[in-house]
Amino acid sequence: MTTKVRPKPFLVPHFCKGCGRCIDSCNKHCITAGTEIDPLTGLIPVHIDLDTCNGCGLCIDACPEPYGLTPIPEDATPADFELMDPEKLFGKKTNTAPNPVDIPDETIPLPKFEPLVVKGTYASAVGAILAGCRHFFGYPITPSTEGAELMAKLLPKLDGSFLQAVSEVATVNMMYGAGGAGLRAMTFTSSPGFSLMLEGISYMIGSELPGVFVNVMRGGPGLGNIAPEQSDIKLACRGLGHGNTQAIVLAPSTPQEMLDVTMLAFDLSFKYRNPVIILGDGYLGQMTGKVTLPPTMLRPGIPKWAVYGDAMHRANVHTSIYLDENDLENHNLHIIAKYELMAKNEQRADAFFTDDAEVLIVACNTPARMAKGAVEALRKDGIKAGLFRPITLWPFPIEAFRKSITHAKRIVVVEASNGQLEDEVRLALSKAGIHNPPEFEHVRHFGGILPQLDEIVAAVKGNEVAA
Amino acid sequence: MSSIFYDKFERHSHGEGLKGRATHYCPGCGHGLAHKYLAQAIETLGIQDRTVAVSPVGCSVFLYYYFDVGNTQAAHGRAPAVAIGHKVSNPDSIVISYQGDGDLASIGLAEIVSTAQLGIPISVIFINNAIYGMTGGQMAPTTLMGQKTATSPYGRNEYMGKPLKMAELIAQLDGPVYVERVALFDAKQRVRAEKAILKALRMQVEGKGFSFVEVLAECPTHLNMTPEESETWVKDVLANVFPLGVKKDVENPESWYHPAKPIFDPGMVMKVVGGTDEAPHRNCKSFPSHIAPNDISLKLAGAGGDGAQTAAMLIAQAGINEGFDATHIPSYGPESRGGTSYADVHIAEDEVLSPASPKPNILVAFNAPSLAKFGPLVKSGGTIVYDSSTVSDPPPPPAGVKQYGIPFTGIAMELGKQVVKNVVALGALQAVTNLFPADTFLIAIRQALKEKAKVIPLNEEAFARGQQAAAHLV
Repeated sequence: MTTKVRPKPFLVPHFCKGCGRCIDSCNKHCITAGTEIDPLTGLIPVHIDLDTCNGCGLCIDACPEPYGLTPIPEDATPADFELMDPEKLFGKKTNTAPNPVDIPDETIPLPKFEPLVVKGTYASAVGAILAGCRHFFGYPITPSTEGAELMAKLLPKLDGSFLQAVSEVATVNMMYGAGGAGLRAMTFTSSPGFSLMLEGISYMIGSELPGVFVNVMRGGPGLGNIAPEQSDIKLACRGLGHGNTQAIVLAPSTPQEMLDVTMLAFDLSFKYRNPVIILGDGYLGQMTGKVTLPPTMLRPGIPKWAVYGDAMHRANVHTSIYLDENDLENHNLHIIAKYELMAKNEQRADAFFTDDAEVLIVACNTPARMAKGAVEALRKDGIKAGLFRPITLWPFPIEAFRKSITHAKRIVVVEASNGQLEDEVRLALSKAGIHNPPEFEHVRHFGGILPQLDEIVAAVKGNEVAA
Repeated sequence: MSSIFYDKFERHSHGEGLKGRATHYCPGCGHGLAHKYLAQAIETLGIQDRTVAVSPVGCSVFLYYYFDVGNTQAAHGRAPAVAIGHKVSNPDSIVISYQGDGDLASIGLAEIVSTAQLGIPISVIFINNAIYGMTGGQMAPTTLMGQKTATSPYGRNEYMGKPLKMAELIAQLDGPVYVERVALFDAKQRVRAEKAILKALRMQVEGKGFSFVEVLAECPTHLNMTPEESETWVKDVLANVFPLGVKKDVENPESWYHPAKPIFDPGMVMKVVGGTDEAPHRNCKSFPSHIAPNDISLKLAGAGGDGAQTAAMLIAQAGINEGFDATHIPSYGPESRGGTSYADVHIAEDEVLSPASPKPNILVAFNAPSLAKFGPLVKSGGTIVYDSSTVSDPPPPPAGVKQYGIPFTGIAMELGKQVVKNVVALGALQAVTNLFPADTFLIAIRQALKEKAKVIPLNEEAFARGQQAAAHLV
């Protein structure tokens, strides 16, 4: 029978905060409150006298500091104590966590299939699945719920995970966890729910975590109604929670584009380690249309920065707290540099008859479809109208826009909001140094009414007559 | 020294000076001990590589300074939600949500209660010291009655609510398998705390379910006490309000969490999303430009439950099957049944530009209010089809618009299923407009019902009866 080794404790005084928990844990009264202030810490470490110590170890168990009371190493020499060299005393620990490497994504060809006939939210959900998303978190809210319902139906069949959270606040934080694990996670929500997610989006941006948010915008403010509006453009482009936040904002206008931009959103989200926001509108979410499937789908790997919960990724941490001012400034500079890259590389737009357009209509989402019809009607009547449709609302596609306004005498912004799209256009022009743009006019609606084709035509013509 | 602690705390002020080896906690703080027992449990169970520790907001926000495991830091109160995200992403990971009393029992109540009830196997370590530490000694949800804090300067009273007993609350729920409250004030309690934390992690390693350990901890700084006084206070005062002990311990719980690896097989994916490689047969020789040159606008309107949306969807599907573009937009009232239900459909030769139908070429009206509301908007040259079973006194159609009454409901009742009245309406629509050949509609109907094949004959008959009833009117 071997006797249990009962090492006696030792203490490097600098690592003792003098809390005294060890004092009353010792039955032999080996430890007493100290009397001298440690010049390095300003605290008063305990005093230990090991003459009567029987190595019971209770003091070690009572010490809250990782490098506080510690068993004396068997091979320690008195010199080690004199030098108080922690490495010698606590043993040199080699960090066994490996350097993580990327497990790459795999592109898998898809067989050729007939187009689907599906709603916009369905198209987005299908796009997510093809982009490799198997984790969905959400809270039901009209008019986005169909997307969540489809995910609830499809993901279990693919052994994915659908989780209805207790709220949108919990939703975004589950996405923080899944995105942090390096996986492709998404949610569908609608305006009031999106408001609730903003805090979490700020944390995701701060911790550089990916995730795709589809906000099927509805009428506001407050509870508003469940009909389409576009009044979250400001939130998505300028107000993603607190701090210096920015994310790519995509504005699809057809069910087909709902699928396409959802797939794109996942790629961009992982490319920049930043959330991506897809803004739809109530019409688009519920609109059924023809959706052609892409030639490939994705089996995602695991990025090297993930906190996946395995040996490879043990060294990683996700956090957005930087107590030191210099550290936080550097972190901000780092993420701002990413925003600049996004602004430079990710502008996307669709131009329709803009080459010679004298009246340039600007619209996105469903209003852009109405506007497209209006352009066709106006052209038939001999009016040189064109449509500029930003697909990225942030970054605003200013380079394409600059070309589209070459011949424009008027810019007519058509939107279901109080000028939130127009503000993006004006800000982009100003930042690009274009200080004398053509005159701005607008067609706006609220409360669930979208600008209609005839109305846009009338507005363009009416002003034509007035001019 | 547990090997689970970093060799040097590089994240603590870049590991400079003593900070590389010392925690940021005040003398006498309970967090250090909870950290130590957590580290020992991770070491004992051999789960260092699999562990993901979620740091909260509060004094333990810097948990990730110390633990050599996968780390993430959560927003205030949301650690359980973040933990769920990690656990479902990698079910083999061991996820620990470490939270203080403000984080867990105040701002994060919804997350902790719902996560506990979900019962997903994660381990929660809850540090209750009856005060807010990081923000500087304000009232916590667990602050005792009469206890003076920065935000209860005259002592907590009824207007501030009574202290919240989380371990008891969590133990009430069905989800958790193990709930215990422990303390740190003497050697005996510390041994219990150590064992409880080990058990909470073991329950997860064994996949048994959600565990919760509440640790009554000392905060001498904000209690304005010496470390020794604070230990006595926890023992004599705090533990009286928050009784120590096991609150729930399910013997041999059945694990329900057995996730499989997600599937990425393309064949399976296409099956699941409803893709098909069978091209539907086309019957149209050209676009039905006898109705409108290249873009036909329809409106279907009725009460919820009339089937207007399904009929609209079938028309759009039929159009797309024929190689045209088509859209359908629903609009309904908040009621699930009985409210208004309108559908706008467009069929375009190339591309639907404007998907709304404010002035339709074709109106299908299932009731009198819908006919009265939308009938006057139908374009000249257009067609109205309405349910003559429900509309006894139709208003005259606008000039240049043809209007036909067919008893959708009556025919459907004769067939024994009122729900097929929308298919009767489609038959009638086909007969009076020749939007598409009958086969085009029937293919779309069969496609939609491919998983309910036995009702296909009934729907085919409903379509035919609608056609016949309308045919003699044209």
